[in-house]
Amino acid sequence: MSPMGISEHEVGDVTVLELDGRLILEEGELALRDAVDQLVAKGRVNIVLDLGQVTRIDSAGIGMLVAKYLSAINRGGRVKLLHLTDRADEMLRMTKLRTIFEIFESEAKAVDSFDSE
Amino acid sequence: MAATTRSPRRILIVDDDRALRHVLGALLTNAGHVVEQAADGAEALARLDGERFDVVLLDIGLPGANGLDLLAHARSRPSPPVVIMMTADDTSDSLLSAVRRQAFRYLRKPFAPASIVDVIEDAMAETAAMSIEVVSARPEWVELVAPCTLEMTDRIQSFVMQLETKLPEPVREAVAQAFRELLNNAIEWGGKLDPGRKVRISCVRAKRLLLYRISDPGEGFNPEKLQHAAIANPPDSPLEHALVREEQGLRPGGLGLMMTQSLVDELIYNETRNEVMFIKYLD
Repeated sequence: MSPMGISEHEVGDVTVLELDGRLILEEGELALRDAVDQLVAKGRVNIVLDLGQVTRIDSAGIGMLVAKYLSAINRGGRVKLLHLTDRADEMLRMTKLRTIFEIFESEAKAVDSFDSE
Repeated sequence: MAATTRSPRRILIVDDDRALRHVLGALLTNAGHVVEQAADGAEALARLDGERFDVVLLDIGLPGANGLDLLAHARSRPSPPVVIMMTADDTSDSLLSAVRRQAFRYLRKPFAPASIVDVIEDAMAETAAMSIEVVSARPEWVELVAPCTLEMTDRIQSFVMQLETKLPEPVREAVAQAFRELLNNAIEWGGKLDPGRKVRISCVRAKRLLLYRISDPGEGFNPEKLQHAAIANPPDSPLEHALVREEQGLRPGGLGLMMTQSLVDELIYNETRNEVMFIKYLD
């Protein structure tokens, strides 16, 4: 299967990662891990994950979102979610993680939310 | 200019639909593969007997031949190609015949032509040894035995879920997700991702319920020691398992069982907990 595509752009001290493809076990989850780990290593710990183009997600994908949320927090940052698909939203509810993440429908609002912290 | 691909393959497209052959041929050529075409059974047979192909895309309803017979012929060759069936036939009998004859994937027409490039990549990720053994191929009772590799999950899920096309979409999605989570668990934790070990999968379709049973070759687990799984989290600590997993050096996850419990009506383990059954009621 084609690897998940991740494109990156910066808005001030916030990095937006746009995920495109399957966020599932041994596929997109590993690409997401590597992308976030590289950002955190560079000190860019305020991250917005745009999930609007994620075509499939499973428990491993949700697990990686949780793990990277914790990585960013441990370095004084945050991972926030943008354009959550219905499927991902339902999975976060099932796993009682819906209230952990801040979720946005607009990139501008997601980025601005870091200023108010 | 042709796009690059990781591993160019020789591919034979067999279909009497000229337009479909043309579209698929262009996509695969652009992906860097070498593509040949056949429009009927006789031409396909001649090409299969005279040339070596890595992958065959094969229609079932062909002039002069049944694609399922060609599938059997292709797979009986000394270095058999991977065969992907393409058909508008929506009967479970055809699907199960294709599985029994070792089709790699079964694509129901119409399908998104662009998806064929990914299907070819999936097909090439498997080795000849990774075949699915068909124990039972009755539509009411399908039973398969498969090697413990993650590549198998997509393939088996694709076959099994195509048997359930008449279900309401939300039910079908829930069953597909639950099946995938439990099969991945069986292959990863029970089978240790070892292709030499096997999982056994049964899918029973009764009038009022669907029942799936997955048996893995592992030693099972102790429910008292599941602190790395979200189902053991205290009600007010949804991240507890993630911290435990980090301490234990486990990959991120631990959410599959909790998710599955929400998706199905009953989730039942045997005493050792290396066999699991889930039920979805249809009423």
